[in-house]
Amino acid sequence: MASGEVIKRAKYKTSVKDPGTPGVLKMTWDKLVLVPNNPNSAMKLDVSFKSIKGYKNTKEGSNKPPWLNLSNNQGGSYIFEFDSYSDMHVCRDFVGKALGRSGDAPAVASGRSDVILPDERISTSEMELRIKLLRENRELQALHKQLVIGGILTEAEFWATRTKLLEKESSKKSKQRPGFKSAMISDIKPSTDGLTNKVTFNLTPEIILQIFAERPAVHAAFLTRVPSKMTEKDFWTKYFKAEYIHSTRNAIAAAAEAAEDEDLAIFLKNDDILAKEARQKIRQVDPTVNMEADIGDDYTHLPDHGFFLDDGKEASESQYEQYRRTLAHDINHHAAVVLEGRVLEMDLDDTRTIAEALAKSKRADVGNGDSDRNFNQGTIARVSRLTEIEGLQALNGPPVAPLCIKDPRDYFDSQVNALEVLGDQSSGAERSKCPLSSKDAYGSLRDCISKIKAKGIHEPVIKPKDALQVFNALTHDISRTKYGAGENRQQSVLDKLPVETKGQLLQHWTSIQELLRHFWSSYPISSSYLYAKVTRLKDAMSQIYPQLEEIKKSVPAKHKQHVSVLVRQMHQALDAAFQHYDVDMQKRSAASGERPNGYV
Amino acid sequence: MKFRLEDITVYFPYDHIYPEQHAYMLDLKRTLDAGGHCLLEMPTGTGKTIALLSLILSYSLSRPSSPLKLLYCTRTVHEMEKTLSELRRLRDYLFSELGPSSSSFLAIGLSSRKNLCVNPRVLSAESRDSVDAGCRKLTASWVRALAERDPSVPTCEFFEDYERAGSSAILPPGVYTLQDLRAFGKQKGWCPYFLARHMVQLANIVVYSYQYLLDPKVAGIISKEMQKESVVVFDEAHNIDNVCIEALSVSVRRQTLEGATRNLHRMEQEIERFKATDANRLKAEYQRLVEGLAQRGNLRVSDTWLANPALPDDILKEAVPGNIRRADFFLRVLRRLVQYLKGRLETDNVEKESPVAFVASITNQAGIDQKTLKFCYDRLHSLMMTLEITDTDEFLHIQTICDFATLVGTYARGFSIIIEPYDDRMPDVRDPIIQLSCHDASLAIKPVFDRFQTVVITSGTLSPIDLYPRLLNFNPVVSRSFTMSLTRDCICPMVLTRGSDQLPVSTKFDMRSDLGVVRNYGRLLLEMVSVVPDGIVCFFVSYSYMDEIVNSWNESGILKEIMQHKLVFIETQDVVETTLALDNYRRACDCGRGAVFFSVARGKVAEGIDFDRHYGRLVIMFGVPFQYTLSKILLARLEYLRDTFQIKEGDFLTFDALRQAAQCVGRVIRSKADYGMMIFADKRYSRHDKRSKLPSWILSHLRDAHLNLSTDMAIHIAREFLRKMAQPYDKAGSGGKKTLLSQDDLEKMGDEMLY
Repeated sequence: MASGEVIKRAKYKTSVKDPGTPGVLKMTWDKLVLVPNNPNSAMKLDVSFKSIKGYKNTKEGSNKPPWLNLSNNQGGSYIFEFDSYSDMHVCRDFVGKALGRSGDAPAVASGRSDVILPDERISTSEMELRIKLLRENRELQALHKQLVIGGILTEAEFWATRTKLLEKESSKKSKQRPGFKSAMISDIKPSTDGLTNKVTFNLTPEIILQIFAERPAVHAAFLTRVPSKMTEKDFWTKYFKAEYIHSTRNAIAAAAEAAEDEDLAIFLKNDDILAKEARQKIRQVDPTVNMEADIGDDYTHLPDHGFFLDDGKEASESQYEQYRRTLAHDINHHAAVVLEGRVLEMDLDDTRTIAEALAKSKRADVGNGDSDRNFNQGTIARVSRLTEIEGLQALNGPPVAPLCIKDPRDYFDSQVNALEVLGDQSSGAERSKCPLSSKDAYGSLRDCISKIKAKGIHEPVIKPKDALQVFNALTHDISRTKYGAGENRQQSVLDKLPVETKGQLLQHWTSIQELLRHFWSSYPISSSYLYAKVTRLKDAMSQIYPQLEEIKKSVPAKHKQHVSVLVRQMHQALDAAFQHYDVDMQKRSAASGERPNGYV
Repeated sequence: MKFRLEDITVYFPYDHIYPEQHAYMLDLKRTLDAGGHCLLEMPTGTGKTIALLSLILSYSLSRPSSPLKLLYCTRTVHEMEKTLSELRRLRDYLFSELGPSSSSFLAIGLSSRKNLCVNPRVLSAESRDSVDAGCRKLTASWVRALAERDPSVPTCEFFEDYERAGSSAILPPGVYTLQDLRAFGKQKGWCPYFLARHMVQLANIVVYSYQYLLDPKVAGIISKEMQKESVVVFDEAHNIDNVCIEALSVSVRRQTLEGATRNLHRMEQEIERFKATDANRLKAEYQRLVEGLAQRGNLRVSDTWLANPALPDDILKEAVPGNIRRADFFLRVLRRLVQYLKGRLETDNVEKESPVAFVASITNQAGIDQKTLKFCYDRLHSLMMTLEITDTDEFLHIQTICDFATLVGTYARGFSIIIEPYDDRMPDVRDPIIQLSCHDASLAIKPVFDRFQTVVITSGTLSPIDLYPRLLNFNPVVSRSFTMSLTRDCICPMVLTRGSDQLPVSTKFDMRSDLGVVRNYGRLLLEMVSVVPDGIVCFFVSYSYMDEIVNSWNESGILKEIMQHKLVFIETQDVVETTLALDNYRRACDCGRGAVFFSVARGKVAEGIDFDRHYGRLVIMFGVPFQYTLSKILLARLEYLRDTFQIKEGDFLTFDALRQAAQCVGRVIRSKADYGMMIFADKRYSRHDKRSKLPSWILSHLRDAHLNLSTDMAIHIAREFLRKMAQPYDKAGSGGKKTLLSQDDLEKMGDEMLY
C-alpha cells in the first residue's frame, strides 16, 4: 500500500449475475490489470484509470459479498468480488486516490508519487465496529461517503479522529458476561421415577463446568481417567455416589468406602489442589484482614497453652480427618468461585472440551501470578485509603465528566440570536482589531492598578451606562427566547429555512468541521504525507466555498439574512484556513530555495 | 490542622476533628502530665487511634527533653497494619508541617519470625514453631561456629549479612509495616526479624501484639529493656483480662505427655552421645549451675528461646537446686513428673485443686519439691542449649510440662488446677485434660503497671468502666467514658424478640435447637438480604451453634434463597480459610455483588475485623453470647472473682456476654459519615438487666419503640432507615450542637475557655 501499487486476489464479473472469473487484481496509479488464475481463460482485463468514472462498493454488514463496482465512461462497469472486506476497502481507497490523481492531476503532488501512508491494516473486528457505527449514525455515514469515498480523506484518517467513538462502542460490547449460578452444586437434586430405587441426575455442560471449577480434584481426575480408565458415565456415577456419602456426614463411613474403591476415594478425600491454592492466595491477601499472620504472634496458644474457651475442639481421629468435609468449607469455596466469575467465554457442550479449556485457562492464570510487586503497591494504597476517616476529610467525589453539547444547531441559534439582538444596536461598532502588543496592554493595566491603588476606586471599573446596556440587551434576549419558545416551535433559525437548504447547510457544516479538524491537525507539516493531505483538504474546502455561495443565492429573500449569517461563519472559518495555508506556502517556497522538493 | 491544647501544639492530620477526639486528647494529655495510668472508653467510629497517636507524638514534640517512646499494643497483626498505616499518614502530615528535621521518628511493627522472615527455605515451613526452629537451625551460634569450619553446613545468608553489617545495620527513620520490613530486608540483604528485634530498643514507636508485653514467655526476651518513661497503650483492650489470664494458663493433655516422653527419650540419647564424645561440655554446664547461673550470661540474639513463663519478679535469682544440676538427674526428675501427671489424668471424676495441694501431692508421690519444680523451666532451657538442640518445635511438649511445673511451683494463689476426664458436651469421648488456669488477670499485667510511667487502656467498649480497675487491680488517674455526638442518627440498634410468626426467638439453652427458632432466624436473614445493600454480618454464639443452624438452613432451602441475593461466607476454625473468605467477602462488597458473612462472637473475626462502610450495613447478633457456663474453668474463675472482688457470678457473665455483643455490633461504624444497623435477635435483650449493660453509645440510640420488634416490623424500620441515610446531610451538624470541628471552631473554643 505504501507504494503506488496494490495486488489483491479477486473475482472479476461482467455483471451482477456472472459467477465471475477468479484472478489477481493488480492496480497501479494509472491502470488496473486482472490476470485470471486459469491461464487458458480468454478473459483478461486491462483498463486505464483514465476511463474509469466512479466506483461503488457493497457495505459490510449488508448480506452481499464484498464487491467493488467501477463504472467506466462508456456506461459499462467492472465488478470485482474480493475475499474479504478489508481487501475490498484497500482497493477501494486506492481506486479513490487513483481517480483523484488521474482526474485533477494535482500539480504539487506530481513530483512525488511515493506518498507514505500510515499502516492501514486493521482487524476485521474493528472493521465491523466501524461499519456498525456508520450504519447507526446517518450523519456520520453521509460524511464518510463524502470525504472518504470522495477521496478527500483516507479511511484511516477519517477514523483516527473518532477513536473515542470506536472505543466506546467496543467497550459496550463485552460488558456483561454470564457468571456461575449462585446455587450450590450440591443442590443438584436427582429425579426419581418413583417405582424403583434408581435416581437420575441431569448434568448440563453448565453444571459440569461449575463442578470442575469448584472441585479441582474432580477436574484433574477427569482429565487423567476419562476416557482411558473409565467411561464418562461411570465417572459421574462415582462422583454422585461420593456426594451422597458426604451428605450423610459420616467421615468414618466415607473412609471405609474409600478404602474399598480407590476411584471413589478421589472424590471423598479433601481437595489437595484447593489447599495448595489457598496457601498461595493467602500471601496475596489484604494485610488488614490477614488473620493467618496472627497465629505467628500468638504465643499463648502454643499447643496446650492458654485454654480452650467455649468450643471444645472436636475430638476427631486424624485418620478420618481427610474425609471430613464441612458445609462451611463448601459454601466458602462456592462463593469464592462464583465471585471469581466464569473464565471460559465460549459455549461448550462436550465435557472433554470443557475440562481441557478450563485446564488451559488455569495454566494461564498461574503464568501471570507473579505480579507480587504490583500487588504490594496496590495494597499499601488500599490500606491507607481504608484507614482514612472519611468524615474528617473533604470528600474527593467521584470523577465528573464535563457536559458536552454537540448538536450544531445550538451553535447556530446562539449565533443568530445574539447577532439579531445586538446587531441592531451595536453592529456598527464592531470590535476593531487594533494591534496592541502585550507589553502595551500590560503597561496600561499596571497604570490602572497603580492609579486605583493611589486614589482608591472613585468610580466603578465599568461605567453604569454600559453595564445597563449590556444588561438590557441580555434580558431582552433571554425573555425573547423564553417567550418565543412557548409560542412558536419554529423558533429555531434552521427550522425556519426550507428543508432542503437546511439539510445542505447542516451537511456542509459537518463536512467543513471535519475538514478543518483534519486541516489544522496536519500542521506543522512535518512529512510529505501531511503535505499531500493538506493540499487535498484545501482543494476540497475550496470546492465547498462556491457551493455555499450557491446556497446563499438560492434561498428565498426572507431567509437571506439568516443564511448569510450562517454562511458567513463558515466562510470565516474557511478563510482562516486558506490564509494560514497561503502564509505557510509562502514560507515554504521562500525556504525551498535550498530544498527544492519542499520538505520541511 | 494544628491547634493548641493547653500548653502543647497538637498536629492532627485531618482538616476537621470530632469534639470527642478533642476531649479524648485533653484527658490523655492530663494523664501524661500526671504520669499515671488511664482508662478511656470511646465509641468505635470516632477515630480513637489517630487521636491517640497524634496527641502522644505532639506531646513529645513539645517536650524535646524527653525522647518519645511509645509501645503500642494491638491484639492482632492486621490491627498492627492499620495502626502503622495511620502513623504513616501522621508522619506525612508532620513532614509537610514541620519539615524533615523534627518529623523524623522511627516506628516499626514487630512480629514473629513467621511474619518477618525472608529466607525462602525457612519460610516454607507451615507453622510458627517450625519457622522458629528452621531459623534456629541456620542461625544458632553453634551451627554458625560449625559452618565456619565446615562450609557445607547451611547458614542463613540474611542473618550472616546482618551480623556482618554489625552496628551499621539500622533502619533509617520512617514508618515500617511488616511488609516494609521484609522489603527493606530483602533489598539490603539483612534479616528483617533480627533487625527489627534490634531496632525495638531504638525505635520511637513500637507496634506489637499484647503478648509481647503481657506474656512473660515472650516479654522476657523482647520487652526486657524498655525505659520507664515509655508510654504503653493497649488498644481495643476490652478483652485484656482474658489475655492476661490466658498468658499464665497451661493445659496438659494425653498427647502432651506422650510427646514429652518421646522428648525425654531423645534427650537421654543426646546426653549419652555427649558423654561419649564431649563429656566436658556437660561438666561445664554443671559447673556453671553450681556457680548459680541458670542462664548462660548474655545469650546471642539468635539463641534466645521463649523465656520463663513466670513473671519476672517471681523468678528466683538463686542457684539451681543441687538435685537437678546434673543432666541425667534432671531427666529423671522430669520422668517422674510426667509419670505422676499421667497417673493424675487417669481419673474418672472432675477434680479441682489449689496449687498448694497439688504441689504437696507431687512432693509426696513423686518426690519433687516445690523449689525443684520452680526451676524446671530454666534448667530445661540450659540443658537444651548445652545439647545444642535446634529443632525446638519438636520439643514443645516437654517445654509445656516444664512451664506447667514452674508455674505450679511459683504461684500459690490466683490459680487452680482442674482435671477433667472428658468434655461435658461429649461425655462419651474420653479426652482427659489437666488445666492450670489463672483466675487473676492482675497478675500478668502487674509488671507492666509497675514498670512504666503511663499505661493507657482504651477501647470502644469498656462498660462498666469501674469494673476494669478492679479486675486488673490498678488505680487510674483518669477513667472516663465518652459518648458519641452524632450528626445524624447513623446507627440504628434494634432488639428483635419475635420472628415472623410472632413466636419468641432466643438461643437460650432450652430453645436453641427449636426448629421454629431456627426457621425464624432464617426468615429474618432472608428478608434482610433482600432489603439491605452490600455487606451483612451475622454473629452466632458459638461455632457448634453456627454449624447446626447453617446445616438446618441448608436442608430447609433457606440458605439457597439467601444465596439468590448475596454470596455467603463463613468463618471456620481454619484460619487460612477464614482469611480467604474474608478477603473474598470484601471483594464481593467492593464489586457490588453483596455478601453475607457468618461469624462467631468471641471468634477471631469478631475480635479484630472491621465491617465498616459498605462492608457492613447490618449486623445481626443471633442470641446472647454467654460463655459456656458449665465449663469448670469458668466456674472456678467466677468463684475466685466472687471471693476476691465481690463480683456476682451472674453480673460477670452478663457483663462478659454483653461486652462481646457490643464488640460484635460495634464493628459496623467507623466514622460519623458511616451508617449501619444492628439487630439483637434474642428476646432476652429486651430485659432491662441485660440491655443496660450495653455501652451508652448504643443505648442512647436504642429507642423504646425498637425494643420489642418482630421480623416484619424490623424490615419496615430497616427500609425507612436506609432511605433516610441516603439523603444528603450537613456534615458539620445542624442546630446548636457541633459534631465536627474545624480549626476556627477550635480557636474560638480556646478563647471561650480563657474567659
